[in-house]
Amino acid sequence: MKVLVLSGYGINCETETLHAFEVVGFKGKIVHINDLIDNPKQLNDYQVFALPGGFSYGDDTGSGNAMAKKIMNNLYDALLNFESKDKLIIGICNGCQILVNLGIVPGININNPEIAMLENSNGVYQCRWINVKVSNDYSPWLNKINTLHLPVAHQEGKFLIPSNIFKIIQDKKLIGLQYINIKNQLASKKFPDNPNGSHNDIAAITNKTGKVIAMMPHPERALYYYHEPEWQNNKNRKFADGFKIFNNAKKYFK
Amino acid sequence: MTNTIQILSVEKTGREASLQEEYKNKSIKIIDGYLFSKKLDNRKFKQISRILSNQVSQKILTKDNVVKVLSNYSNFNWVVEINFLPGVTDNLGSTAKEIISDNLKNSFKKFHLGSTKIILIKGNKKNIYNISKKEANPLIQTIKIYPFKKYIDFFKKNKFELQEVKLINKKYIKREVDLNISDHELNMIGKLGIEEKNKSRRGTLGLDIESLKTIRNYFNKIKRKPSDVEIETLAQTWSEHCKHKIFSAKIDNIKEGIFKKYIRGATENIIKLRKDNFCVSLFTDNAGGIEFNKDWIVCHKVETHNTPSALDPFGGAITGIVGVNRDCLGFGKGAKPIANTYAYYLAFPNKDYQLFRQKNKKDPMLPASYIANGIISGVRVGGNCSGIPTPQGNIYFDDRFAGKPLVFCGTVGLIPKKIKGKLSHKKKANSGDFILMVGGKVGKDGIHGATFSSEELDPNSPVTAVQIGDPITQKKLSDVIITELRDKDLYTSITDNGAGGLSSSIGEMAKESGGFVVDLEKVPLKYPGLYPWEIWISESQERMTLAVKPKNLKKVIKIFNKRGVDATLIGKFTKEKKAIVKYNNIEVLNLNMDFLHEGYPKLNLKTSLPKINILRKKQIKNVNLINKLHKLLLSPNIVSKEFIATQYDHEVQGTSIIKPLQGKGRVFGNSTAIKPLFDNEKTIALSQAAFPQYAETNPYQMAACSIDTAFKNLIVSGANLKKIAILDNFCWCSSDDPERLYQLKEAARGCYDYSVAYQTPFISGKDSMFNDFKGYNKKGHPIKISIPPTLLISSIGIVDKISYLTKITPEVGDLIFIIGKTKNQLQNSEYEKIFGFKKTNLPNVEAKESIKLYKNFEKANKLKLFNSALGVDLGGVGITLIKMGIASNNGLEIDLSSLSISSIEQFLFSETQSRIVVSIKKNNVIKFKKLFGNSNIFKIGTCNDSNLITFRNKNKIYCEKIINFEKSYKQKIKGL
Repeated sequence: MKVLVLSGYGINCETETLHAFEVVGFKGKIVHINDLIDNPKQLNDYQVFALPGGFSYGDDTGSGNAMAKKIMNNLYDALLNFESKDKLIIGICNGCQILVNLGIVPGININNPEIAMLENSNGVYQCRWINVKVSNDYSPWLNKINTLHLPVAHQEGKFLIPSNIFKIIQDKKLIGLQYINIKNQLASKKFPDNPNGSHNDIAAITNKTGKVIAMMPHPERALYYYHEPEWQNNKNRKFADGFKIFNNAKKYFK
Repeated sequence: MTNTIQILSVEKTGREASLQEEYKNKSIKIIDGYLFSKKLDNRKFKQISRILSNQVSQKILTKDNVVKVLSNYSNFNWVVEINFLPGVTDNLGSTAKEIISDNLKNSFKKFHLGSTKIILIKGNKKNIYNISKKEANPLIQTIKIYPFKKYIDFFKKNKFELQEVKLINKKYIKREVDLNISDHELNMIGKLGIEEKNKSRRGTLGLDIESLKTIRNYFNKIKRKPSDVEIETLAQTWSEHCKHKIFSAKIDNIKEGIFKKYIRGATENIIKLRKDNFCVSLFTDNAGGIEFNKDWIVCHKVETHNTPSALDPFGGAITGIVGVNRDCLGFGKGAKPIANTYAYYLAFPNKDYQLFRQKNKKDPMLPASYIANGIISGVRVGGNCSGIPTPQGNIYFDDRFAGKPLVFCGTVGLIPKKIKGKLSHKKKANSGDFILMVGGKVGKDGIHGATFSSEELDPNSPVTAVQIGDPITQKKLSDVIITELRDKDLYTSITDNGAGGLSSSIGEMAKESGGFVVDLEKVPLKYPGLYPWEIWISESQERMTLAVKPKNLKKVIKIFNKRGVDATLIGKFTKEKKAIVKYNNIEVLNLNMDFLHEGYPKLNLKTSLPKINILRKKQIKNVNLINKLHKLLLSPNIVSKEFIATQYDHEVQGTSIIKPLQGKGRVFGNSTAIKPLFDNEKTIALSQAAFPQYAETNPYQMAACSIDTAFKNLIVSGANLKKIAILDNFCWCSSDDPERLYQLKEAARGCYDYSVAYQTPFISGKDSMFNDFKGYNKKGHPIKISIPPTLLISSIGIVDKISYLTKITPEVGDLIFIIGKTKNQLQNSEYEKIFGFKKTNLPNVEAKESIKLYKNFEKANKLKLFNSALGVDLGGVGITLIKMGIASNNGLEIDLSSLSISSIEQFLFSETQSRIVVSIKKNNVIKFKKLFGNSNIFKIGTCNDSNLITFRNKNKIYCEKIINFEKSYKQKIKGL
């Protein structure tokens, strides 16, 4: 099992993302996008392609846009080829924004972005822990998970989904995660349970097969028990909730 | 054909929402635009629009659709168009250019573009004017305000215009400067800069007359006139910023100066006594380094960026944070930045101070709220975009920061002890090594930045002294150094290009080899037309200088270029002790290295005891205790800083272990911690403290309190008492005034005494000596506002085990104790500032007592006797208890009856140092008492499952719901 973790141009969560995969048993490598462009065939050696969080191009021209354009222009075929196989792709935070801008998720009609990521409703960057529920039971990434406690950290995390597309997303169950309140009910766009005002409280979206997930929360920052804000009151477990996402990737290939 | 692309978001954006809310005006729309240096035909327009916009969420405005599209939003009548002045860093513009070039390759070349922000408003002109004042800074941006009709007209007639840098051709390569002139003329050169042919002046050199005379003698001796490049270089190298002349000067009878005697002296004294390897690298490098464990070193550095932040708060602060990141990259062979810290000392953002730099109410200071918000955002963008967590910080407010805000930015770095078998903190540029400049290109940014910070902020402050950081360019540079280059041992030395630019970085590194020769024409420029002196001292950001062995040169350049980072060979290190700079083979600078670095005239300073004027607030009586607590919680200095903590990514790198917001109730903590290695338990705890409120009364105790609080906070967090190091940042005012120098000497003496008493070494420091504003008030009267002398002590400590980390949340059934005696010390406290207090004193740290308590605390903590602990800070025990109540959401029953205190206010609000509130499980109390020997610990109450905090003293009872305290504590600060 091998994971390729993308880096370069302001991506900045590659180290901890690779570490999270390694902890569950993956082998992996951080590859700079320029090296991947030089040799896209190396993707064939990997089962998982991870686009980590960060600030590619400083969010200039819209988060994820510039990097998506670079991938579209230089790596698109390799990426579509990877997606067409029985492999997994994860985009976290900035990686999520890139996948959305590439149109890989929801990927109803390939080649076109169909949804968008907007600036948080209150206009302010949000770094905080939130709760999400799993809304899609067939994605290998989300298998057998009910809820997750994870941190978000973004300026542009609000999913914008045109109504015609939203219908399809709902019908095909492409919503991956939704923000919930402490009573485990949908956050109904209420801040801070929904930290960005996202459409229908959406925190993650998958493609049709569920093998590609684009998620705003950061599972790699919720790996060990001591990552949890109140770990000192609950030292009885080794891992925090983010572990489950990476472990699911392992289970898929085992 | 058009030369603009303008994009609007279909839905209301967050930025629009906040503007609309702030101005109570729903008719505000922001347009993101780009202006091109050449026209786009229809096809290119469509292609480029697609590249720069999102088809789902945005719409492109065209000549044909603009009226119709905008009429869907409102009946706009005014437009504010904001563009960057030519030459100012435009990060959005550069990214746009890069992706256009990547996508269109050869089909669209040779163009410039700039980003533009256009705000459409329906409202009256005054409204528009206010918005423009809030959204733009005339120092770096042009602001055009015009009627909406004209905007449509601009579209129809294609009249938008990109302002480009237009520099006239260079008229000279160097100029000789005659220094054999009158004292008055010399003074003019020092104060206003070298005179150009057209009689204009280049901007302040910050050189005093003694220095200029020393330069004159040097050149008279070698029988030639100095070149402009030589004078500019000496001004940079001899600046207060680079040489810390005041700290190294003879002062009264202290011959070696206060740095050697009190700061380095303290550390040397401590090292002599301890026989470990804790101190690794002190004072000499870009940052100070201590041992993390047997394989790793951590370094820490804190810088200030005050003057630039007064002029352009966003640019000043972002440059401050990415600049100090480079200090870590430049520590030893290059440390990876793993945490940022911040501390802002600001004027109240809800007040309108109305200050002007020039007579007749001209050249206004930026509003306090603009400065505060700009600084907060600058560090946010700098830190977040760099992928460095920013957990630790604070803000403090006082009117006396109205003329100059203090912006402290710090970074912690991590580096393996050995790289390829060599000690990583040692570096040496050898004779024959190439000089490589890597990172960004050079423009006019920040020219005279270093000399400028030595001067008071006056009407002639040069506007070119402002730079804007570009964190993404730096991130690319930093990635190459840390992940691809350092561990291959491909360079022999590295340093940051900060103040003074190349002149300073190369000048410093060349001390390692002897001297240098640089060919300036090789330096890559942002735009043509820079004079050699400008290239040499420019402070364009995101650059570092490397020394590379000739055999490795090609390899190194290739690695940088592969990652889209410029790396340029610009010269060579030599063994001759000569500093030589050429431009197209013409020698523009030739100085002895000794003269360059040590030739400046040493100051001989005298101090005099200032008269202390203590203004005491009149006592306000008949206020209920609970109301007092609310009032204190609402004080901007105490109220929660959650809104900053949530803007600053403190989770990136996956290392956060004690977060800035603590407990269920998310209380803003006074220390934080990160665990930097996934496979090692050791944790780095961070804190900081400053007490400018004590400066005028007792600068010695001000230093004592800063050290005590910064040290105590780490002890309380669980750090190893023997593994805490501190950093000093002195921000002073009017440092040519003997009374201010007296305060400085006293503060430095305090630093020595308490650093030695606590055995916590200084490992790095910085000073900024002239934080004064000279200008005019709203009546047009001349005014000078000096900051209160401010000494920030930053502390960094190692926590050996995760289980030693404490929390601030007491548990139900716990007994509450105070460790440390409470004295009548409310002078200049938050309480006294609001309510006044009759007879009271300033805190007075009794180091011997304190260190005993800290040692016992450490022992008790290792035995896990505490369920929670929090150091007492502003607002005293009263506020500390409320914070613990909010954090845990558990009730507290406080009973002071048995303590026989003189007044409940005195007990709850005294700001006596060295006190810790702890909560202890009942069955641990005996052990706890035994360990502390029953003296200096005071039982004050219990933790229960109610929703109330109750204070009792004899027959008096005061009680309030936690949720109500929480409401006050989490009130928004007005103006932020």
